Amino acid sequence: MTRQDTEHNIEEADIQAARNQFMNVVYDEKTFSFTADQFAEFSRACGETAPRYTDPTHPEFQAPPTFPTSLHPNKRMPDGYPRFNGLGMDAGKAVAPIRPIRAGETITARTHVHDIYSKSGRSGRMVFSLIRMELFDHQETLLATADTSIVIREKPAS
Amino acid sequence: MILDLHAHSIKSDDGRAKVQNYCQWIRTRKIPIDGFVLTEHRQFDFESDYSALAAEFGVVILKGSEVETEYGHVLVFGVNESFTEAFDMASIRLPLRDVIQTADRAGGIAVPCHPGRPRVGMAAHIGTYGIPEGVRIVETFNGGSRENEDAIAQQMAREHGYRGIGGSDAHIVSHIGRCATRFNTAIHNEQELVAALKSGEFEAITFKEQAA
Repeated sequence: MTRQDTEHNIEEADIQAARNQFMNVVYDEKTFSFTADQFAEFSRACGETAPRYTDPTHPEFQAPPTFPTSLHPNKRMPDGYPRFNGLGMDAGKAVAPIRPIRAGETITARTHVHDIYSKSGRSGRMVFSLIRMELFDHQETLLATADTSIVIREKPAS
Repeated sequence: MILDLHAHSIKSDDGRAKVQNYCQWIRTRKIPIDGFVLTEHRQFDFESDYSALAAEFGVVILKGSEVETEYGHVLVFGVNESFTEAFDMASIRLPLRDVIQTADRAGGIAVPCHPGRPRVGMAAHIGTYGIPEGVRIVETFNGGSRENEDAIAQQMAREHGYRGIGGSDAHIVSHIGRCATRFNTAIHNEQELVAALKSGEFEAITFKEQAA
């Protein structure tokens, strides 16, 4: 399938079809392991001062809550995901920390499309894709979720 | 009584304000309104109960919706299950006529908002679809309006005999109360709000110059 085949003006039916096909289906799995120095460096770069995030010798040392937003899946979007015609932009990130992420732990990240929806604004119609990465420890305990929203602002029909 | 009839909280996908923070801002900054209506985008928030916050801060907190139609965005007051079950609230192409009629049947009222705004305001679509039936009120002061958007709304209201309401369209805390609606009667719940709107006894007001 070529890019031209899949790039077109956005119809509500396209959005519904994409919801049916892609939502809540894991399309990427990746493992990570981080050192204490990586956590501490990230924390300092964010201006974090709490020792449990900046001092690897602290008994409760762990990744800072926003750390999962720095992780990326192997694939940004699922194979075959529609390329809506328009201007794409990052529409924000959200993280939900659930349990501490510890240095040296093997983390499995599974990624799925969590929502696809449209809205209309002053600048025209926009389609949002919400990509959710879920992080699990070796016991399959959910540690955190990290959401990335991507918006496509529809190109006006010429 | 003065109510801001158009505000969004973090329940809306683009809302950045917590309801508690709106209340704190109104009280600490002495914003001259008695309350506000949460009109979340493309949904009705049945879950949230703000009665404790309302009591703590002495602020009236009501709920409505902002839906999207072929004529642009529309506030709906007095939303209940019979309204939400009639539509896919997430749709961005609801028929305005159906929204107005269904809201009426459900004991509510539909009010096109920021009607002077490009693309998402009623004025932008009258040329294509004609003058919609059943509109009685439009939002003539909107806190997020740019340039002449409010002037277009007010001109439309004069031409068609619509009553006007005001709302901040706040998405962040400091915008709450920029525009509002003054009522002659006390309003404590959504039913009283709908009754007051249907009575026509209200006026749109703006505090934007004071806020600037």
